[in-house]
Amino acid sequence: MIRSVIKTTLPILFGFLPLGTAFGILFQELGYPWYFASLMGIVVYAGAAQFMAVGMLGAGVGLFEIAISTFFLNSRHLFYGLALLNSFGAWSLRKFYLIFGLTDETYALMTTIKVPKEFQRERYYLLITLFSQCYWVLGCTIGALASSSLNFNTEGMEFAATALFTVLLIEQWLMVRRLLPFIIAIFSSCISLILFFQHMLLISIVLSIIAIILLRFINYKRL
Amino acid sequence: MSSTSYLLLVFILMALATYVTRLAPFVIFRQHHERPLLKFVAKYTPPMVMTILVIYMLKGVQYNSVEGLYYILALLVTVFFHLLIKNALLSIFAGTLVYMIAIQI
Repeated sequence: MIRSVIKTTLPILFGFLPLGTAFGILFQELGYPWYFASLMGIVVYAGAAQFMAVGMLGAGVGLFEIAISTFFLNSRHLFYGLALLNSFGAWSLRKFYLIFGLTDETYALMTTIKVPKEFQRERYYLLITLFSQCYWVLGCTIGALASSSLNFNTEGMEFAATALFTVLLIEQWLMVRRLLPFIIAIFSSCISLILFFQHMLLISIVLSIIAIILLRFINYKRL
Repeated sequence: MSSTSYLLLVFILMALATYVTRLAPFVIFRQHHERPLLKFVAKYTPPMVMTILVIYMLKGVQYNSVEGLYYILALLVTVFFHLLIKNALLSIFAGTLVYMIAIQI
């Protein structure tokens, strides 16, 4: 199972390692010991929010402003659980951890891939989540430790995240085979790109869910 | 308050704020799994979110430089490989490699 999970999560490794390293390097500018970067990856585990927090800490922004901003930055996750309500098994420590580790990347992976038949789904998901977080913490640590002496040029490696989402988008198309959700998503994205460039991610997700629910009520049978 | 304990406090609050967003749907809908509307939304959220995530990644690219050109090229390579061979890992690897080589030379 471990081999299969490593193979499945390799794109996440390519994405998290350079991004985590970039975070570690940035974090070092705050002047804390390196292990706080690792600790943040373990405790907070939210890419964009960690970058934001470095900027805010550097600028001396207050505690609660940082917390509130984190909440709003991550509020798209409010909708991620919807597709996974029945996927994480019964309430247990494992489920709490699976929810803790729900990032854009693991969400994309878990809602698209088929777990190989010989493995139990919840355990497979647990390893996906655990490995992904390890990659992230590893990246944060490498960046913080070696901020000035890094030899390998990882520039451009962050494209792996785009490539992963693109591949999973194609897979979603092959599974769903209906144009409507994709068209709705494109429309919502265009609207929110024009009106709310900075917050387009959350607003597009909310708009598309509202739109598809409305369409269902208007034209029940075709959906 | 020392600077270290302040940092730890920031971590804890950020962790809580993040966890609330991830946990909320599981708590709110723990008893309504089988509602048809919820199942419907659950089915169509992933394709919509995936589309939005791709557009979100494309939004950050500088299109008035060669970076934009390389980005589109790498994206086409990814799509082409995936439609042709249907091996997710290979498609992601090929696209990323093309982008890394292009941007570094």
